[in-house]
Amino acid sequence: MKLSTVQADAIQELGNIGAAHAATTLSQMLGSSVEMSVPAIKAIDIAELGTYMGEEPAAMVAFELQGEIPHGGFVVFYISRESAIRLTNTMLGLTEMNRTMNEMDESALIEVGNIMVSAFLDATAELLGFVMLPSPPALTVDMAHAAMSSLIAQMGVEIDEVLLFSTELTCEEHKIDSDIIMMPETTTLARIVELMENMMKGI
Amino acid sequence: MPDAPNQNTQTAMIGIGEYRVGSFPMMTIGLGSCIGLTIYDDNLKIGAMVHIMLPDSAGRKDRPGKYADTAIPLLLKELTALGSKNRSLVAKMAGGACMFEYFGTNLNIGERNSDTVRSLLKQYNIPLLREDVGGKVGRSVTFLPSNGGKVSIRRADGTVGEL
Repeated sequence: MKLSTVQADAIQELGNIGAAHAATTLSQMLGSSVEMSVPAIKAIDIAELGTYMGEEPAAMVAFELQGEIPHGGFVVFYISRESAIRLTNTMLGLTEMNRTMNEMDESALIEVGNIMVSAFLDATAELLGFVMLPSPPALTVDMAHAAMSSLIAQMGVEIDEVLLFSTELTCEEHKIDSDIIMMPETTTLARIVELMENMMKGI
Repeated sequence: MPDAPNQNTQTAMIGIGEYRVGSFPMMTIGLGSCIGLTIYDDNLKIGAMVHIMLPDSAGRKDRPGKYADTAIPLLLKELTALGSKNRSLVAKMAGGACMFEYFGTNLNIGERNSDTVRSLLKQYNIPLLREDVGGKVGRSVTFLPSNGGKVSIRRADGTVGEL
């Protein structure tokens, strides 16, 4: 589905509101301020996914969008491996950077992802009056491309292009850089666009 | 450095659903549930590599490299066009992982991918020499047709191996 400028702006605004709520929760968990980028919208041909994300190791907490539309796409809390360790170090009161990730890190990351993505989806649901419930979280710490392409593979046989909405959340004090990435499947996207358009027309 | 490609030979990066045929180095990065399949002809020192995403095309024809059922006949056709005989071809594959453990009703696509590739190769009488599939790990694969069809694998944790 091709988005018009107006539709892209509408979705950007939606992402903005969702990410602002997620940023607030991250800021509370870290006890320091969190900056947020303008949400970026990219239409990516699956063959080109490798030019956006490659072998870099990252922790990704993925949630399937469920609710009114049963398999509505995915929302992912994405954080580079290095930032992930800084994040859990900050939360657990540790300082050692040169260490492997353990179960405690993994639980902490899942919990952070859960809280942030719930805040993101609560805010968008409130705005749109359209409920997207997150599935239970699933975590992987691996090559970004390997994880994201596996999610895209689950979105169906006809997917040749994905729309990826990402907002960068950074905490300068702790040098933590993360993203919230939303990949809506076609039905979800069409529904979001329709609701946003109605809202702007004042219906 | 016997493995280093010639300075004037570029490595072809093969994205999801893409394929290449020739004697130059080829690479797929970050395979999760996808499959990196190589078919090599030791007589001609050429080969083909494809980055398969799903097992079944369900009749779709626009991206033959994306699906196992359309990719394998396509690679064989391309290699035959370059003079390969079916009996001199051998295959290797990597990928087919399950990166995320839980997603409710979704089937394990990685496992279905590798099962389908295995049975299709059997159907076309192409021996599957080696495979590195499954688990919960991403893999990058390099294929060097000019170097005996060598296939090397790098995992996210930095470990490397050869197929």
